[in-house]
Amino acid sequence: MSQSHTLPLSDALPQDPREERDHFHDRLFRYAVTGCATFVLIALLGAAFSMLWGGREAFSTFGVQFLWSADWDAVQKKFGALVPIYGTLVTALIAMIIAVPVSFGIALFLTEIAPAWLRTPVAAAIELLAGIPSIIYGMWGLFVFVPFMAEHVDPWLDEHLGPLAIVGPLFQGAPIGLGMLTAGIVLGIMVIPFISSVTREVFVTVPVHLKESAYAVGNTTWEVVWDIVLPYTRSAVVGGIFLGLGRALGETMAVTFVLGNSHRLTASLLEPGNSIAATIANEFTEADSSVYLSSLIALGFLLFIVTFIVLAVARLMLSQLARRGGTTS
Amino acid sequence: MNNAKAHLKSDNMSMWMRRQFTDYLAKVLGTAATLFGLFWLAWILWTTVSKGLPALKWELFTQMTPPPGADGGLLNAFAGSIIMSGLAVLIGTPIGIAAGTYLSEYARYSKFGATIRFVNDILLSAPSIVIGLFVYELMVRQMGHFSALAGAVALSFIVLPVVVRTTDEMLQLIPSTMREAALALGVPQWKVVRQVLYRASMSGIVTGVLLALARISGETAPLLFTALNNQYWASSLLDPMANVPVVIFQYAMSPYEFWHALAWAGAFVVTMFVLLLGIASRWLLLKGKNHE
Amino acid sequence: MNDLAAVKQKNVAAEAGSIATADAKITARNLNFYYGSSHAVKGVNLSIHNKRVTALIGPSGCGKSTLLRIFNRMYAIYPKQRADGELLLDGVNVLDGNYSINRLRTKVGMVFQKPVPFPMSIYDNVAYAIRHYEKLSRGEMDGRVEEALRNAALWDEVKNKLNQSALGLSGGQQQRLCIARAIALKPEVLLLDEPTSALDPISTAKVEQLIGELKTQYTVLIVTHNMQQAARVSDTTGFMFMGELIEFGATEDMFTHPKNQKTTDYITGRFG
Repeated sequence: MSQSHTLPLSDALPQDPREERDHFHDRLFRYAVTGCATFVLIALLGAAFSMLWGGREAFSTFGVQFLWSADWDAVQKKFGALVPIYGTLVTALIAMIIAVPVSFGIALFLTEIAPAWLRTPVAAAIELLAGIPSIIYGMWGLFVFVPFMAEHVDPWLDEHLGPLAIVGPLFQGAPIGLGMLTAGIVLGIMVIPFISSVTREVFVTVPVHLKESAYAVGNTTWEVVWDIVLPYTRSAVVGGIFLGLGRALGETMAVTFVLGNSHRLTASLLEPGNSIAATIANEFTEADSSVYLSSLIALGFLLFIVTFIVLAVARLMLSQLARRGGTTS
Repeated sequence: MNNAKAHLKSDNMSMWMRRQFTDYLAKVLGTAATLFGLFWLAWILWTTVSKGLPALKWELFTQMTPPPGADGGLLNAFAGSIIMSGLAVLIGTPIGIAAGTYLSEYARYSKFGATIRFVNDILLSAPSIVIGLFVYELMVRQMGHFSALAGAVALSFIVLPVVVRTTDEMLQLIPSTMREAALALGVPQWKVVRQVLYRASMSGIVTGVLLALARISGETAPLLFTALNNQYWASSLLDPMANVPVVIFQYAMSPYEFWHALAWAGAFVVTMFVLLLGIASRWLLLKGKNHE
Repeated sequence: MNDLAAVKQKNVAAEAGSIATADAKITARNLNFYYGSSHAVKGVNLSIHNKRVTALIGPSGCGKSTLLRIFNRMYAIYPKQRADGELLLDGVNVLDGNYSINRLRTKVGMVFQKPVPFPMSIYDNVAYAIRHYEKLSRGEMDGRVEEALRNAALWDEVKNKLNQSALGLSGGQQQRLCIARAIALKPEVLLLDEPTSALDPISTAKVEQLIGELKTQYTVLIVTHNMQQAARVSDTTGFMFMGELIEFGATEDMFTHPKNQKTTDYITGRFG
């Protein structure tokens, strides 16, 4: 390297104005794209911080009790997050109970059962479900599905499951169609395309030789999926489920239409309830005191934290398969 | 001896039958699950078409949103949605392409790049209502009033992660030999990225922008507390502005039949637009692939 | 190993004595290359004669392509790759961090194993790099593009479709387009990394003939896994094995009287 001092300077250093300009532009471009990438990080941190800041009045007024208080009284200015949290968790749970097996079935159908010519169009159709704006689900829910539930499903549940010992209280109540069961079903339909497309995609990543060697010794399709495909893709499938869960927890418009916006804590899935997102959407522009507004934003902060954790788990689980795929192939 | 053999055989037979039955059951249930999913799709689309199509009329695009109880159109709402979505794409796309470029070209294997990618994926699936609250705190509260600009910014935060993700993925698909061939000519990297790599991944990046546009076309939650709504024309970007999703929300929740019909008509137009965008982006991606 | 090294040193010394001092375009002194912690090119010394064709041969993984990629610092775009030692182009060490990498690449052009036309028209492919470096009028640019395409023996085939996408050309035409693109900038050295391995025999013959014509204007370095090709096109040949330059000398001598046992084994097909 000591040699470099003896070099003719004109060749060794970028003295040419063009080269200096190129060098400068290269650096400028690099800073610009780095800045934009950092902006993504700042956006997420900013979202978290701004909601924490907006909710500070609620947190300082009600303390940790905000989390489990069932109060929601705009007149006395007493607010608690229990009912919305409960509603959010219950509707998301119902959604997952419906969506997980159905999505698994769809992935099974699209990767192992359906004839090849049918796979692409059916997969595209299922993905159309994901493209429909959530407000359409909400309208459909309110005008079509709620009356259907009120007329056909709720009375039956009330009559047949209502009297039962343990699960009974879940299914008692006036059959008005609005409520957590309806919201959960609509959410379930909404997340099916998300979970099924991830599951299908990871099922396809299973090396063909693994599956073929299992078929070769006489395994049935179901045995290959259950004993070979599923264990191989387990973490990514769980990741896909969590992705759907994150979606179900935070979905706003679809549930706002069909939940009924009630802050009464009830065990019944057939009675109106609330969720974090629906509460915010319904009441935000009506909030007439600063602590009311702050409570709504605090709810938003809680929702953000919960979905962040769920989505982070989803991404970590998904990346595990990707990493393994990278090293073995 | 013979007896034992026969016994063994029948045991094997019954086990074989059971396995076949389980397999058959799984196939039936898998097919049923798919039909179940398609059933809802058909029902929802049918509802949108059967309620939206009759409500579709020319006045929809020529008349303003009506006062309570009266009939009218959605002209200002369509205009507002187009303005805010357009603005959101204009804000979100360049930032998103730049960030995606960073991830693919400058930080493909770095820790920081992995962090950004992770954060971006979270932003991609974060509840949109959270974005609405964020922009409410960021802009509406600072400015003291709701505004179209705040609505556009909120939507741009939804555009951003979609574009980042597709740009990153599409640039990574370009074989490294293309980069090497361009850099080997002594052309500086920023020019290679802009003139060769963007061109090679153009269809993919445009697809990402179309997908983002499809996503924000029906987004309601982030607009509720940013752009709000406006029965009239907004006089500037700093005023509240009408937009189709919020109008649909308001009208659907109202007791007036006129308004329900308007909401269905709006829902029909938005759904068709989103589905068309979906088809267009798929076609574009396919075309891009065939081109290579 | 010791006597192997000794022979190598002697060869290099012989080379340096005969041509290098008089007319060396490129001289490597103790050149090393690392992929992370793996040592891929080990202590290479050589000197490349001006306006001649030099071929690098050897079994796959021997480091011949890696060595070639040091000459225009192509490796520098990957974070974990680095080179040390000296590489003198006209007596100036181009591995020096102060040496402008883009300037180096305008002087040392490169053509890759697989043809990679840019997704633009044939004309723009050739004009691409010129536009960055020179402000030319439309007419001047047309002249430069034509000249480059003629030199790459492609002009007659494409002169009527210059504005069509380069992606529509056949593989052999694409590779000659890549050569045209590389020589459009009027480099001094041309690096060819297995330029015919993805081509059919007829296209290969065309490219080989072209290489013979190119050496009147450029110093050409070609990496090839095909010994017959090296014998056909090159004046000087280097044989590499396990990251070392085993033997380096006039092509004729190399293929008729190899000095090293390893070289003999390789060119008689005993391994590789």
